[in-house]
Amino acid sequence: MKFEFLKEEPHGTTKAFFLSSAVWMVLGTTFGFIGAIQLVAPELLANIPWVVFSRIRPMHTNAVIFGFVGSGLIGCAHYLVYTLLRSPLYSEKMGKLTVWMWNLAVLFGSLTLSRGYSQTREYAEWIWPIDILVLAALALMFYNLFQTARRRQEKLLYVSVWYVFAGLVFTFFIYFFGNAVWNPATGSITGMPDGILAWFYGHGIVGLFLTPLAVAIAYYVIPIVCRVPLYSHTLSLLGFWSILMIYTHIGAHHILQAPTPTWLKVIAITGSVAMLLPVSAVLVNLWLTMRGRVANMHATIGGKFVFAGTLWYLLTCLQGPLQSLPSVQKVTHFNNWVVAHAHMGVLGFSGVIALGGIYFILPRITGRSLHSEFLAEMQYWLVLVGMAGFFTVLTVAGLIQGHGWLQGETVYRMLPQIHIYMVLRLAIGVLIVSGAILGLYNIFMTLHGSRGKEGSS
Amino acid sequence: MKMTPSLIVGGSVAIFASVLYIAVLLPWSTTTREPSDIFRWRTPLEERGRQLYVNNNCSTCHSQFIRPIDWGLGAERIAQAGDYIDERPHLLGTQRTGPDLSQAGGEHPDDWHLAHFINPRYVRPESLMPSWEFLGMENIEALIAYVQSLGFKMADYRMERQRYWKEKAIEAYEAGTDANVAWLHERVPKPWRNLPNPYGTTEAGLKRGQKIYQGFCIGCHGPIGDGMGPAAPYLYPPPLNFTTLKGRGVSGGILYYYIMNGITGTAMPYFKRDLESEKIWDVGNYVATHFIGETDAGQPPKGIEASYEPPYGENPYGGEEPRRER
Ligand code: HEC
Ligand code: HEC
Ligand code: HEM
Ligand code: HEM
Repeated sequence: MKFEFLKEEPHGTTKAFFLSSAVWMVLGTTFGFIGAIQLVAPELLANIPWVVFSRIRPMHTNAVIFGFVGSGLIGCAHYLVYTLLRSPLYSEKMGKLTVWMWNLAVLFGSLTLSRGYSQTREYAEWIWPIDILVLAALALMFYNLFQTARRRQEKLLYVSVWYVFAGLVFTFFIYFFGNAVWNPATGSITGMPDGILAWFYGHGIVGLFLTPLAVAIAYYVIPIVCRVPLYSHTLSLLGFWSILMIYTHIGAHHILQAPTPTWLKVIAITGSVAMLLPVSAVLVNLWLTMRGRVANMHATIGGKFVFAGTLWYLLTCLQGPLQSLPSVQKVTHFNNWVVAHAHMGVLGFSGVIALGGIYFILPRITGRSLHSEFLAEMQYWLVLVGMAGFFTVLTVAGLIQGHGWLQGETVYRMLPQIHIYMVLRLAIGVLIVSGAILGLYNIFMTLHGSRGKEGSS
Repeated sequence: MKMTPSLIVGGSVAIFASVLYIAVLLPWSTTTREPSDIFRWRTPLEERGRQLYVNNNCSTCHSQFIRPIDWGLGAERIAQAGDYIDERPHLLGTQRTGPDLSQAGGEHPDDWHLAHFINPRYVRPESLMPSWEFLGMENIEALIAYVQSLGFKMADYRMERQRYWKEKAIEAYEAGTDANVAWLHERVPKPWRNLPNPYGTTEAGLKRGQKIYQGFCIGCHGPIGDGMGPAAPYLYPPPLNFTTLKGRGVSGGILYYYIMNGITGTAMPYFKRDLESEKIWDVGNYVATHFIGETDAGQPPKGIEASYEPPYGENPYGGEEPRRER
């Protein structure tokens, strides 16, 4: 059998993104695990340059954000757009090309980071050539989907489609400006404004890349699983436009205590609290759609993941405004509290919804059931329990650090105090890494396993 | 509202452009480009060190700005926008697994940093910082130069102080043990020299002292207090061999004074930020009892009578049991 680089097949792009997502979930969580080991036993892996904590950490964050969650969401986004618009993907070949570009970006990004090439700004660590690759891939995806939309049979655009297009447009521009690609050597501008730009970007990556795409999937899956129309068009509109207007403004809450202009801090804090508006518009709309039908959501594994994802979204977005208040940040900034929030947002909300989308869509594009419902179910529980464990342990560790510092304890003195929580985090990490491995096996076998092809089952 | 692809794309671009203006361009155009009072430009070597800091993402564990609520390393100066006019990329950081480094320059002499970068646990036994030995000597020197520049003119001032005292400390060390100890003790203000450890020697106190010794001192002064900890080969003057203090007029107050303030110019750090009073007395007494072999702990007080507490069972107030109400 000849290996075809850009093989054209029905749903080929979506399938390839799903498989990439599963692979990066294994690699990305393993990176995180290696990082966590070093916060427990710093001598264990000492002097192995390519896994040293501060290199493996950005490898972890970028691999899970762009590789795992990103690929999963983008794969679903392709499927949503051409299914909802009732027209085939404009070019499966171009789609495959973007899959390769995306994967190469994450791969080279990880490799260069591990060799000590980095631009160090959070989630913008990848060096310039990789930025260009990411931007080119995003532009091609947008072009491919936009051409699909222009050839559509369905005149009305469903909410999910809005979110996909807005998400892609915002991601492209945020990535372009955020990485300051006109300054290839540093990928940054100068001084305090660079901090502001970098967090405009970092916040945009979670808020305008991951969030809209994940919300798009929730909007797609829930009405189908519940077999009811969406609760409200007005709420959809409100949620959509308000998230674009508010989420974008508030990146400065990440460096709230740094010497940035005061008026910017005011915008960041008020905007963060105002985020309750788009979040409740979306969640009220989704949950009223499934009113009385939560059992339907739990009858399919895809629906189950998506439902859990909406719950994590609520928690993340209740915590978010809270921790943007100066009186709260006094305790929570700079410590593991924020790491708990980050995992809840990126894994609990967007990662879990990406998994939900994958499991919901897979049977529909392969034409047969999942390789194993049981394994998917296992993964669901591993991720859910792991996530709840992470949240608990890291929040407690963060509070201990934060209160200790506020009382005048030095950072060094607090290290032994959080040791036990770092051990627990490592242990709980095993659950999530195992979940990732089960997921990869299951998704691979569903796509390429011999079962079904021979007609046996 | 009828949603079409062009409305969505056009609307997104319009919103993006206006937000970019408000949240990035406006702050960019209004932030000061005036240097602050402590600012200075970095040397090429310091720049090279900074690049290593960038490439190895030291910001994943270290922030570089001090808030009004901060204690600890660097907390002598609250960050000002004018300190950051040459930061490219910014290194503000969002995580403090390690301490803030915005004022780290000159807090330690270069030899401390060398031992620390080779293996942080040599000088701070419970550190979580990775070893950077694999970077090679040349890179470590650049990193040290950069770290010593953090704090700009405030760091330069501290560095001058380190260099001045380093010369003296080496001179004293090379003059032999007697001269070195005498020199060290002369520098301690007299009231401190005459001050005995106000706490009595108790088993519990020694246990606490040992715990602190293992968490803070063992890498330099070594498990048996002979100054042969793993950091010793990198430090000059080397860590003090405590056994040499016996019979040379050491007191609880001298130990306390040096543990609290450190010995500027030598690798001996100050612990005033890590340890509060009783902990310093405890570790001092542990060192005195276990390594020096003589202690003044629990002697009748010379300085601070009110805090003197005799061991259980010895009543200094005339031996009479306090009268009990029937
Ligand atoms: C895993 C997190 C971690 C990483 C990565 C890390 N550090 Fe540290 N660093 C620490 C911790 C924890 C301490 C406090 C304990 C100690 O002094 O070792 C520390 C302390 C320091 C100190 C001493 C501060 C003082 O005066 O007490 C310096 C200087 C320093 N780090 C520089 C660096 C540089 C430069 C890098 C990058 C090459 C780096 N660190 C990477 C965690 C880290
Ligand atoms: C980084 C290495 C290092 C660490 C850590 C360290 N010391 Fe020292 N210490 C030194 C050096 C170097 C000297 C001075 C040597 C000289 O000038 O001859 C010294 C000197 C001293 C002295 C001076 C004694 C005298 O009578 O003059 C005392 C007391 C002391 N150390 C106690 C401690 C204690 C207690 C700790 C832990 C809380 C500690 N040191 C941690 C390196 C270290
Ligand atoms: C797919 C699942 C995961 C996702 C999406 C994820 C995401 C993230 C994100 C976004 C951060 C940055 C946090 C911040 O900057 O505040 C982070 C940090 C981290 N993650 Fe994960 N993570 C996942 C799984 C894991 C696992 C399984 C482990 C291993 C135990 C792990 C260990 C870590 C560690 C050690 C850090 C660094 C925290 C620090 O700097 O103190 N993660 N992760
Ligand atoms: C209502 C919405 C939200 C608000 C107001 C909010 C607010 C915040 C704030 C204030 C911080 C900085 C905390 C600090 O450093 O002290 C933060 C960090 C973070 N948030 Fe959120 N958040 C929200 C939703 C989300 C969502 C949905 C995600 C994920 C998709 C997310 C991912 C993250 C991540 C990864 C970080 C860590 C950044 C870092 O590395 O420091 N947040 N959030």
